[in-house]
Amino acid sequence: MILTIAGHTFREVIRKKILHVLIGLGILIIIVSPFIPTTDEPDARVKMMLVVFFQVVVFLCIVGVIFLSATSLPHEIEDRTIYGVLSKPVSRLKIVAGKITGFALLSVLVLIILGLVNVVAIQRIASRLPEEFRSILKARNEFAASRFSIQGKVHHVREGIAWIEGGRTGIALWSFSDLYKKLADKSSLEVEFNLKIDCSRKDVDAIPLVVGIEDAGAGQCKTSILSAKIDEPLTIKIDREIVKKSGTINITAFPMHSMDYIGVTGEDAKLYSVQKGFISNYIKAMGVTFLKFLLIITIAVMGSTYLSAPVSIVSALVVFLCGHILDFVKDFSLVIQRYDVHEHALPPVLKKPNILLVYIEYLIKKPLEWVSVILPDFKRFDSLKFLLKGINISWETVGISVGYTALYAGICLFIASVIFKKREFL
Amino acid sequence: MDNSAVRTEGLTKVYKDFWRRKSVSALTNLNLNIERGEIFGLLGPNGSGKTTTVKLLLGLLFPTSGKSWLLGYSSVDLKVKSKIGFLPEESYLYKFLNAEEILDFYGKLFDIPKTERKLRIDKLIHDVGLNPYRKRPLSQYSKGMLRRIGLAQAIINDPDLVILDEPTSGLDPIASREIKDLILDFKEQGKTVILCSHLLADVQNICDRIAILNKGVLQVMGNVRELLSQKDIIEFVVKNLSDNDILEVETFIKSRSGDVLSINHPASTLEELFLAIIQQSK
Repeated sequence: MILTIAGHTFREVIRKKILHVLIGLGILIIIVSPFIPTTDEPDARVKMMLVVFFQVVVFLCIVGVIFLSATSLPHEIEDRTIYGVLSKPVSRLKIVAGKITGFALLSVLVLIILGLVNVVAIQRIASRLPEEFRSILKARNEFAASRFSIQGKVHHVREGIAWIEGGRTGIALWSFSDLYKKLADKSSLEVEFNLKIDCSRKDVDAIPLVVGIEDAGAGQCKTSILSAKIDEPLTIKIDREIVKKSGTINITAFPMHSMDYIGVTGEDAKLYSVQKGFISNYIKAMGVTFLKFLLIITIAVMGSTYLSAPVSIVSALVVFLCGHILDFVKDFSLVIQRYDVHEHALPPVLKKPNILLVYIEYLIKKPLEWVSVILPDFKRFDSLKFLLKGINISWETVGISVGYTALYAGICLFIASVIFKKREFL
Repeated sequence: MDNSAVRTEGLTKVYKDFWRRKSVSALTNLNLNIERGEIFGLLGPNGSGKTTTVKLLLGLLFPTSGKSWLLGYSSVDLKVKSKIGFLPEESYLYKFLNAEEILDFYGKLFDIPKTERKLRIDKLIHDVGLNPYRKRPLSQYSKGMLRRIGLAQAIINDPDLVILDEPTSGLDPIASREIKDLILDFKEQGKTVILCSHLLADVQNICDRIAILNKGVLQVMGNVRELLSQKDIIEFVVKNLSDNDILEVETFIKSRSGDVLSINHPASTLEELFLAIIQQSK
C-alpha cells in the first residue's frame, strides 16, 4: 500500500514542469562548472566541479524537493483529492509513509541523473590531468601516526609546532603500527606530509627534504631526498611489501640544509592506503547525500500534515538552513555567556555586563541549546570534504549517517502520523 | 448479526473555534438505521448536515459524541472501508491521470489483484461510457465525464455500501437517467445505497426511504411512499372518460360530502418528455 501511494506520488511529480526545469538547470550548471574561473592548479577544475555539484546543484535540488514534498499533502487536502484516498482502506500512517517514499524515489532519480552527468564530466576533465594530480580521483583510507617523536634537537616550539633546523640536528619520527591488520590485500600505500616550511634564504619556494621509510621489524630503511614545496602537501608512495614483513613502519623527515627549517606536529604525516577508485567513493557520497534528501523530505512532509503549503515550505527551508548552522546556534549562546566568564579579556566597555544582555542570555540560552539539540544536523552529511581530499568515505561514516537518518526520520514519521491521524477534513 | 447497513446512535458534531469554544453545531443527536439492500435518501438544504453525516461515516471527521456502525463494523474500523464506495459531492480526482490510471490507482488501494483489476477497469470504463476517452487526461474531461469516472471509482471494489453525494449533479438528463438506472441496478445486486441529493425528483423516483435534515437535526425519516401519501386525498386515474361522465362522477362525489379539488389531465414529467424526444430523434 505504501508503494502504491509512493508510486502515485512519484508519477504525479515527474509530470510536473518544475522537476524538468530543476533537472535541466542542474545539468546546465554541471556543464558550465568547469568553465568557472578558479586557481591555476591543474586539478582545480575538477575540484570546482565537485564543489559546484555538492554545494549548488544539490542545494537547488533540495530546495525543489522541499517545495514539492511540502506542498503535496496540503494541495491534496485543499483540492480534496485526499477524500478519495482516505475513504479507501488505507491507514493514515501509510499515506504519510507513501508520500515520503515517493519523494525519496524522486530524489534517487534526480541524484542518479545529475550524478551521472557530473561524474562523466569529471572523468572527462580528470583524464587530461597529469598523473600526479589525479589523487582527487582516489579513495584513500587514512591512518594517523600511533607515535610521534623528535630525535635530536628541537630548534624552538611555537604554538604547539616543533621547529627543526636542517643538517641532521633533529629528526621528526612518525610511527604507524598494526598496519598488517588494517590494510586490505590490494591496497597501495602512500604518505602525505603537510609540513610547515621556512627558509632563511630568499626567494626559495622549495627545500630539499630527507625522508626515510623504515621497516621497524627488519630494520631496513629506504632514504630519499625530495623537494618539498612551501604550502603544498608532499606525497610519497610506499612499497607495499614493506608492510607485509612487520606491519609497523617508521617515517622520518628532516631538512637537508642547515639554513632550512620544518615545523612538525604528530598530525603532519598521514599514511593512506589507496583501495578503491573515485567512482565507488562518489557513489557513497551520493548515498550520504540521498540520506540528506530523505531527512528533509520527512521533515517537510511532517510539517505538511498540519501546516498550509506556504508555511510548510518556509518551515522546512528554515529547518534545513538552521541544520547547517547548528555550531553557530550553540556559539551564539556562548557569545553572551563569555561576557561574564572571561571578563578580564574583554575591552573595558564590556567589563560590566549589561543587565539587558544578562536578561536576554537567560531567556535565549536554554531555548537555543534545545533548538540545537532538536534540529537535525545536516553538516554530518557533508561528503564533499572527503571527495576533495580523495579520502575514502568509510562504511562506518555511512552507517552512522544511515542510523542518524533512520532515527530522526522515524521520529518525524511517528509525529507526522499522530498529527495526520487526528486531522479532520472539513 | 447486525442487519443494518448503517446505524448511528446520538451522532453529534460540533465545530469548535481556535480557542476550542463551541462554534457551530453541524449535527445533533442523529439516530439512523439504514437496512441492507435499500436505497436511502439523505435530504436537506445547504448546511443541513448531510455532508457532515457522510464525512462522519467515512472517518473524514470525528464525532463530538455518539457512535456509528457500517455493515456491522465500527465506522472507525479500517476493514469496513474495503466494502464501501464513495462518490464525493464534487469530482475530486487527480487531473494528471487518465481514466485507466486513476481506476488502477484506486483499485490498488483496495488491493485488487492485477488481472481482476484490469477486467474491472475495462468493464467500468465501458459501463460509464468513457471507452473512447480512456487515455485522455482527466484535466480534459467535462464535468459530466468527471462525474462518470467518479462513479466508476466509487464502485471499483464492488462495494456492499455505496455512498453517493449528488451523483447526478452536472450531468445531462440522459446521463442522469443512466446513473439512476445504475443505482437501481445496485439495489438489484443487493447493495445498499445512500444518496445525498438536492434533486428531490431523483430521490423520489429511486429511494426506498428518506431522511430529511435541517440545521443538523433529523426532521423526518421514513418510507418515501408513506411520507408522500396524503391520507385524506384520493386520486383516481381513469382513461377514456367523456365530459358528461366526468360531470356525473363529480356530482356523485359531492353528494357524498367529498370535495373535488381538481380535475385535469395528468402531465408527463419534463424528464420523460426530454428523453422521449431525444429517443425519437435517434
